[in-house]
Amino acid sequence: MNTHPMKLVTLVCEAYALQAVKKLLPEVGAHGCTHFPVEGDGAGGARTGEMKEFANVQIEVVLTADAASALLARIQKELIPRYGMIVFESDVRVLRAEKF
Amino acid sequence: MDIFSAIQANLLSPAVLFFVLGLIAALTKSDLKFPEPLYVGLTIYLLIAIGFKGGVAIAEAGLAKVWLPAFAAMGLGTLIPLWTYPVLRFGGKLPGVDAAAIAAHYGSVSAVTFIAATNYLKAIDLPFENYATAFLAVMESPAILIGVVLGKMATKNTGESAAASLKTAVHEALFGRSIFLLVGALVVGYLCGAPGMKKVEAFFVAPFQGVLALFLLEMGVVAGRRVGDLRKVGPFLLGFGIIVPLINGAIGVVLGKMTGLELGGATLLGVLSSSASYIAAPAAIRMSLPEANPTLYLTASLAITFPFNITLGIPIYLEIARLLYR
Repeated sequence: MNTHPMKLVTLVCEAYALQAVKKLLPEVGAHGCTHFPVEGDGAGGARTGEMKEFANVQIEVVLTADAASALLARIQKELIPRYGMIVFESDVRVLRAEKF
Repeated sequence: MDIFSAIQANLLSPAVLFFVLGLIAALTKSDLKFPEPLYVGLTIYLLIAIGFKGGVAIAEAGLAKVWLPAFAAMGLGTLIPLWTYPVLRFGGKLPGVDAAAIAAHYGSVSAVTFIAATNYLKAIDLPFENYATAFLAVMESPAILIGVVLGKMATKNTGESAAASLKTAVHEALFGRSIFLLVGALVVGYLCGAPGMKKVEAFFVAPFQGVLALFLLEMGVVAGRRVGDLRKVGPFLLGFGIIVPLINGAIGVVLGKMTGLELGGATLLGVLSSSASYIAAPAAIRMSLPEANPTLYLTASLAITFPFNITLGIPIYLEIARLLYR
């Protein structure tokens, strides 16, 4: 089986940041993302998720290394100052490199 | 009925008692918790039920009766943020963007506070204009737009341009789920009239009280979990969250009388003016003014003004109206 190296960028952020993140993705060349509601605790206190104001989402984006660094730079500059979020990048291997 | 028995009558309704039960659940760290989809589901039900009922009432009363007080309500929604902003900015020494965000919440309205008030009036057998829901609908958006404009004027631009965030705000203020459902259901109710009401009565009217009790139980939990944040927001906002609703409530009642509403309707306009939004405004503000601190406006609206209004505020506005209508 042929797999190809890609980057996985994961964001855990407040639910209201989702729209801003989704707007960024095509601008850096990402072709899609997966997001799901999550709960947890952190610097901002417990994110209990009972209403959207107190809910978190996890957003996962698989993209090329170049697109990933562009995305991270934009997130750092435009989103981190305005929304509660943590962001991390990891190496993954994917099937069908042309999808990303 | 004096003010104390009026308050007592309000406190002993199932809706308010369930709200208190929710507060207790949160304060005792009970694991009681509603999943977010249920919260959303309950708001959808309540907004449609109240909107539909209001639309049917407009059809029965005729638009000629509704437009003047509705226009006044809209004016109030526009003016409240304009006078609360300087109070917050200079009285409370808050940053401009936070002052604007809070002002938007207080100019906008809380549908559930309105529903609790109509419930209370029904419980004490005081008639009111059913088409008052129209005031709720027209008061929701203007303040949000004013608040975003004030907030944008107060912030140095970071990232998004003022025009782009105003566009987001306009979209949220007009098509956000709460205003969309409320106005949509009003129109549907208006078009259907009384015959349409007969068809959906069994679903939207009879179970309404039970759904409201469930929703307020959940709101009690949500508000109770924010009690810790009261320490973060400080005494100014605590006072603001109680005194400003009382002033706005009185203004609303007076305006209700001037535009020809009856005692019940004027009370409802008072309740609307006093209430602070926690569904439409937080969503719109978070998306178009992300620089504003959500702890401030959510705590003020959700943990101070909402509990105050549904326990003590509603009977107080009724008493103010009674004084005026004597």
